[in-house]
Amino acid sequence: MDEQLGTIKVKLRNISKSFYSRKEVFEAVDNISIDVYENEFLVLLGPGQCGKTVLLNMISGLESPTEGTVQFTDNNATDVGFVFQKTAVFPWKTVMENVELPLELKKEDKTERRKRAQYLIDLVGLNGFENSLPKQLSGGMKQRVGIARAYANNPQVLLMDEPFGALDAQTRYQMEEEVLRIWEQEKRTVIFVTNNIEEAVYLADRVIVLSSCPAKVKEIYNIKLQRPRDYVNQDFLRLREAIEKNTDLAL
Amino acid sequence: MRTKNQKIRDFVLSAISVIVLIALWCAVSTSKPDFFPTPMATIERLVKLFEKPIMKVSIWGHIFASLKRVLFAIGASIIIGVGLGLIMGWNKKVRAAIYPIIMTLRPIPPIAWIPLIILLFGVGEFPKVLLVFIGSVFPILLNTISAVSMVDDMYLKVGKVYKANTWQTLHHIVFPASMPTILAGIKIAISSGWMVVVAAEMLASKSGLGFLITRGRDSYDVALIMVAMILIGIVGAALSIVFSFIERRLCGWMSS
Ligand SMILES: Nc1ncnc2c1ncn2[C@@H]1O[C@H](COP(=O)(O)OP(=O)(O)OP(=O)(O)O)[C@@H](O)[C@H]1O
Ligand SMILES: [Mg+2]
Repeated sequence: MDEQLGTIKVKLRNISKSFYSRKEVFEAVDNISIDVYENEFLVLLGPGQCGKTVLLNMISGLESPTEGTVQFTDNNATDVGFVFQKTAVFPWKTVMENVELPLELKKEDKTERRKRAQYLIDLVGLNGFENSLPKQLSGGMKQRVGIARAYANNPQVLLMDEPFGALDAQTRYQMEEEVLRIWEQEKRTVIFVTNNIEEAVYLADRVIVLSSCPAKVKEIYNIKLQRPRDYVNQDFLRLREAIEKNTDLAL
Repeated sequence: MRTKNQKIRDFVLSAISVIVLIALWCAVSTSKPDFFPTPMATIERLVKLFEKPIMKVSIWGHIFASLKRVLFAIGASIIIGVGLGLIMGWNKKVRAAIYPIIMTLRPIPPIAWIPLIILLFGVGEFPKVLLVFIGSVFPILLNTISAVSMVDDMYLKVGKVYKANTWQTLHHIVFPASMPTILAGIKIAISSGWMVVVAAEMLASKSGLGFLITRGRDSYDVALIMVAMILIGIVGAALSIVFSFIERRLCGWMSS
């Protein structure tokens, strides 16, 4: 294990997940072991339908593995934040109410949670939209709400499931930059799922390449490039190409 | 959004069709005005109704009597339909236990309940409200059940990740997500409730728009029957307009 990566936050040990339908067994995740380090930006890169969402669901406790274990280093601190693949922002709640929700569910004092939510809304750049409804927001803004809501849970680990997959290229670049800015300001352990190699190299401290179905760890890359990274920098392109050659992604 | 021109056009079109309808009515009724009153005779009857109460109740009183019964019954239907619907939609065991009963009770038309209800409860206010309740609770209940069981799994996952308990999940996620479908059920309930109240009042009552129709029949006052029928239509339409307005206010979050 790499010394400079610091303390381990979450340990995935020999995780497998199979789904049983009437006739057959479908293996989505096969024997994955990963150590996730405190405050690292970890990107899971894998092709579509390869079990990435299932893996995040298991880390968050939404689903339990068929085999293997998910261990948080501190058993009493297992709160996660989840930014969902489809914007799972509640359309019937305003931006403020959406962001406040995790705190409200924890029955936090009203003025306290308002203050915290306002801070997070400002952090993700939605100042002035507190009382807007999601239908009034663009796709990128909705994902900002999702990010702020995930932070509101005061998560040990922030799980992001292809949060920018549905955005246009322009907005996507902008959001990638934003998510790094937010992460620098509010350091968390991030596990970010994507099928976009460029996005992975731009964001990650480490990229874990997953194979296609069932998902297995194929390769791990430590990305040592200086931030902010440049998409057309020589080293960036070289890394990108190396990963490209080593993935099952259909491009 | 409709432009101003389109609004004017639509208004003119509606006005034309109303005028055509009245013209047809004139044409049909002038041959046998005693048997089928003309529009003029009907309006005269309406004016007279404002001046001379029937059974010591003014025309407003009759409208109000019908409305009151419907509103009480709809209120009860909403409380019971939405409450029970949430429980049945949420809990599969409760649904399994109660659903067959609901499905068997639902096809029995309110009219078929009338003899039993009169035998049990007489002819006072309660049996009428009960009949309207029977006629309006099912759409609310069934819509609520299906809305709750169809809440997008993604929203429920959000609740799970942030560790919402059952009550919080219902309050923050299931109930608001179901709201549009529940309101659609209430809308159906109001219109069927309005039909049932008239039927109930025709059987045994001393007030209400349904009673006016019976009174018209008994005293061979065809114009009164016409007036009552038209009022039933107008008030029913007004109810549905008012409710659409409430619906839009409550579900303004929905993308259009
Ligand atoms: N509850 C389930 N029951 C049965 N099969 C499932 C279930 N959840 C996921 N799967 C299957 O597991 C596979 C992986 O699903 P998953 O959603 O994790 O893919 P993904 O990598 O997130 O794909 P995408 O890039 O499209 O989001 C899919 O083929 C899916 O059909
Ligand atoms: Mg996915």
